[in-house]
Amino acid sequence: MKVAGKYTDAELIVAIRDERSLNQAILFIYQQYAASTSSFIIHYGGSEQDADDVFQETVVSFIEVIKKGNFRMEASIKTFLVSVAKNIWFNELKKRERSGHREKIYEHGRDQKEEDISHQIGDLEKKRQLRDLVNNLGEPCKKILMLFYYENLSMKELVEHLPYENEQVVRNKKYKCLQALTGFIKSNPAIAQQISEIVKS
Amino acid sequence: MEQNQALIDHLDQSLRGEGSAETQEMINNDPELIREWHYLQLAVDAIQDTALYEEVGTVKEQWKIQQTAVVKPSRGIVRSLSSNIAKIAAILVLLAGGAAFYKYATISSGSLYDKYYSSYSLNTSRGAADEDAMDKAYQAKDWHTVITLFSPTKRTNKTDFLTGMADLELKKYDDAIEHFEQIMAANTQAHTDYFQDEAQYYLAISWLAKDKVNEALPILEKIRADKNHLYHDKVEQMSFLDLRLVQYKESK
Repeated sequence: MKVAGKYTDAELIVAIRDERSLNQAILFIYQQYAASTSSFIIHYGGSEQDADDVFQETVVSFIEVIKKGNFRMEASIKTFLVSVAKNIWFNELKKRERSGHREKIYEHGRDQKEEDISHQIGDLEKKRQLRDLVNNLGEPCKKILMLFYYENLSMKELVEHLPYENEQVVRNKKYKCLQALTGFIKSNPAIAQQISEIVKS
Repeated sequence: MEQNQALIDHLDQSLRGEGSAETQEMINNDPELIREWHYLQLAVDAIQDTALYEEVGTVKEQWKIQQTAVVKPSRGIVRSLSSNIAKIAAILVLLAGGAAFYKYATISSGSLYDKYYSSYSLNTSRGAADEDAMDKAYQAKDWHTVITLFSPTKRTNKTDFLTGMADLELKKYDDAIEHFEQIMAANTQAHTDYFQDEAQYYLAISWLAKDKVNEALPILEKIRADKNHLYHDKVEQMSFLDLRLVQYKESK
């Protein structure tokens, strides 16, 4: 198998911060840590699909923590990833139990450190809801917003990538798409409530 | 609307480190603007998170493909290179050589078309009466009726696409190519992207069917480079080594 460049923990963090090496870094994380994390999930009652989903969420959360500069290097990346995966999986088990499933095993194996982790990775359920809203925008809007806000393309570059005539047309389209997304978010009561509380405080 | 546009402009500039302190001050002093500002930031966070989630998913699929290609080495006793191992190695080389020769002899654009072609499933949505009739015929796999219902004077990208797919099913590749190219031309003219991704992918597939890998390859490479393309994941899983092998073979 092709092995993504070998990284120390410090090098991996640098690679994640650099857009050009991000994919290699993600591949390395999968090659190095997916198996051990998955076996943990399966040990705690998850299926292979659960392990697959949880690890993907784990990697996304880990990268977001790094990009926001919140990774404190108090533990190794492996330990951190396992803690994040544990946290995500135990919360998933809790959710399933609330909706009538039997799992109780999450009560064991939980430790104090996971409260910190939970704080660092944020509200996963909210993230999932927001992803659904982005996906509901439709492909053209999703594409224009991702190219601008994730790939950091300029308006000029967007004109080259998209079937629009000039920068003004792209600007108008992007404006409408972003407005549509904020409209979706505003119509989500739980999120609107959170925003109200932030504004009041 | 102007206020929202100004907020968005400020947000975009702030993300690129060029926001104005004056505008930020104005936002901070107006509860309604603060609220809007939070919604916009949340929207951008959501876009970035979704894009990252998709990017990780793409690499994950790549990793899975690599994993399935791995042949695990056995953990036997380490021995010096004996004649038996040399024989096994020789057999493996012969087998690999034979496999490569077989692959070279049998591979073609047509074989890649057979490998990568999959029918297009139509999601139902209400449209004009003509389109509804065509939808029904398409879902019933009544390809001839789909083609008959196509009217050049009432064409839409959708009717062009469905007719192109019906042509593809009936192996009328030239007709299919004409319809897919028409969609792309219409989109360029109208600055839309209705059925654009679908048309691009199936145009490449049609060129493969016609043994024209040189026409198909640039389109497939473009799709592979565009992570937001509808068919990106599908193309990512294609063997570009096979495609280049065919290109080499067909150029000889």
